[in-house]
Amino acid sequence: MLRVALKMLIGDRVKYVGLLFGITFTTFLVTFAASYFCGFMTRGFALVAENGAADVWVMDPAVASVEQTSNMAASALGRVRSVEGVASAVPLALGTAEARFPNGRFQPFQVIGVDDATLSGVPPLENGASSAALRAPDAAIVDPGGTEDKLETPLLEADQWPPEPHLDAPTRPLAAGDELLINDRRVRIAGRSKALPRFPPRPLLYTTFSNATRILLPERRRLTFVLATATPGVMPGELAARIHARTGLRARASDDFKADTVRWFLTNSEDVGDIAAMLSVAMSVGFGVTGIMLYMFTHENLKQYAVLKAMGATSKLLLGMIAVQTGLCALVGAGLGLGLCATLGRFVAETADFPFRMMWFTPLLGGGTVVLVSVAAAAISARSVLKLEPAIVFAGR
Amino acid sequence: MVILEPVEDVAREKMEQEQHITGNVSDTLGLRHDLAVRCRGVTKTYGTGDAKVMALRGVDLEIRCGELLMLAGPSGCGKTTLISIIAAILEPDSGMCEVLAHDLQHLSQSERAHFRGVAIGFVFQLFNLLPALTAVENVAVPLLINGVSRRRAEARAREVLEAVGLGERLSALPAQLSGGQQQRVAIARALAHDPKLIVCDEPTSNLDHETGRNMMEILRRVGRSPDRALIVVTHDTRIYEFADRIARMEDGKVVEIVEGAESEHLR
Ligand SMILES: Nc1ncnc2c1ncn2[C@@H]1O[C@H](COP(=O)(O)OP(=O)(O)OP(=O)(O)O)[C@@H](O)[C@H]1O
Ligand SMILES: [Mg+2]
Repeated sequence: MLRVALKMLIGDRVKYVGLLFGITFTTFLVTFAASYFCGFMTRGFALVAENGAADVWVMDPAVASVEQTSNMAASALGRVRSVEGVASAVPLALGTAEARFPNGRFQPFQVIGVDDATLSGVPPLENGASSAALRAPDAAIVDPGGTEDKLETPLLEADQWPPEPHLDAPTRPLAAGDELLINDRRVRIAGRSKALPRFPPRPLLYTTFSNATRILLPERRRLTFVLATATPGVMPGELAARIHARTGLRARASDDFKADTVRWFLTNSEDVGDIAAMLSVAMSVGFGVTGIMLYMFTHENLKQYAVLKAMGATSKLLLGMIAVQTGLCALVGAGLGLGLCATLGRFVAETADFPFRMMWFTPLLGGGTVVLVSVAAAAISARSVLKLEPAIVFAGR
Repeated sequence: MVILEPVEDVAREKMEQEQHITGNVSDTLGLRHDLAVRCRGVTKTYGTGDAKVMALRGVDLEIRCGELLMLAGPSGCGKTTLISIIAAILEPDSGMCEVLAHDLQHLSQSERAHFRGVAIGFVFQLFNLLPALTAVENVAVPLLINGVSRRRAEARAREVLEAVGLGERLSALPAQLSGGQQQRVAIARALAHDPKLIVCDEPTSNLDHETGRNMMEILRRVGRSPDRALIVVTHDTRIYEFADRIARMEDGKVVEIVEGAESEHLR
């Protein structure tokens, strides 16, 4: 009889295709939305991901994310280094500065000052160049950070540093050897890097900690983060707790700090709120459509169920039939939806540099919620089938 | 004449199931074995308050094994209600109904479903075939419901379809068949599991006269057997000749029963 149930489902081509379409669309939508969200959030904590070597991030007690920071006294570095279990600790400076291009245009950059000695946290450079180039005086590495066409310098020598700005001069991408002015200090471009794109997007300027101190506006405190690694056998969480206890600073294992950052975005960023609201509307529409279609399928076949009931089909058998029908729809639809999502997501991520990241839980979320909706719809359908009076099978009622 | 032998193991399974339902109630209750149906004082009311309709007002009716009984009467007199009760898909308000030696009152909901599956065959006015299934698959459904394997169910279905003259259209979908052919598939479906009672509600009213007669002819030829009773509800006086007896209902009661041969005055 379960085979009969499948035939009933598939035999009704139009409704079956409609159902599959609905479920596929919903799975796709939910998974894509979740992956899109993950993509954004991954970009939100790109700085943490970039410094993969760091086990623990130490910061001012008021800081809750990489996005909104406040600096600590320079002595924090030494205090962290003295905590037992810390194998190494390096400074990281974050700041924002307006950079002036040779044609007179200007552009805000996020300045990232990395440890002078190790240069750790500098992303790989384009064309395989070495980050050691940062050791040259005034050197900096620029990165689009998810933006487009923001790192442009005049094509012609004649348009560079003229007495009056040549704002509309033809341009080419910034390259090694070009110069910028930041707070009237000269910065020499040592290369371009391919860092993880940022959310929100912004051009990045990597330089050494000491150079960052030189070009950023003078502040009493310059040290934004101390990045510590643990000695072998010490867990990051444990080390973070110890650093906090000894120094009074906030210390977070890097995974926890990523989570903090996501949470911060969720509560503080209007953009993220808008995206989330949009997605939940889309999801509810998808769910509604799927649920209603599944229910309608059973509802329109009530007469057929009544005939089966009259002919002696027990409730158990009918429930089994509904379960098989719903199960097949949910399975095939969810499979198609996930496949579509993975394919399309990969495509847009590669061609349009779209923030798409299908993490392990995003397909689960998409598939799981569809299963949930299907079960709910099946339960409602089952109720009407069980309540069905077999006597309606005779004509005229 | 085509004689339809039930598949042996199908019959055996059925018997086991029947025994499972009630054991041998008929002996203990002293029911008459030559009666397929015995109804006494059956009443049924639909709705409540102003919308109350008394569809049956104390029906007494006996149907013998081996006979084809037609149920006639004006529209709304309760024919459909009565056969629904006899077929165990509707419960009466009062009165008693013994069908095939089972007292329907004493069956639980699931026992009734089981009883219908094993003992009753249905033919509907609008055929009610499952549109997604072929003729063979449709006819196999009652056997599948009774737990017979698909292979055996479909083998039996082919046999019965051949008996009703549809051996050529075994894998046609209902939509590809004419009304008369669909009704023949429905008859085959009603016979597939070799039930001892077949109920038909206006089986010919959606067919033209010639096709209707043809259908009744097939129903009588293939469906009638000494241990099986058939009830046919009809408005169609022109098929009275196929009846062994005709019961005439009026206003919720059976008012007259005549032998088929003496039905001239009813036409
Ligand atoms: N489910 C129901 N709810 C309310 N009233 C009903 C219901 N079914 C039948 N009735 C009423 O009960 C009475 C008997 O109905 P029934 O269908 O048994 O008559 P019938 O003899 O089969 O009529 P017809 O020849 O038109 O099919 C009618 O008055 C009908 O309106
Ligand atoms: Mg009727």
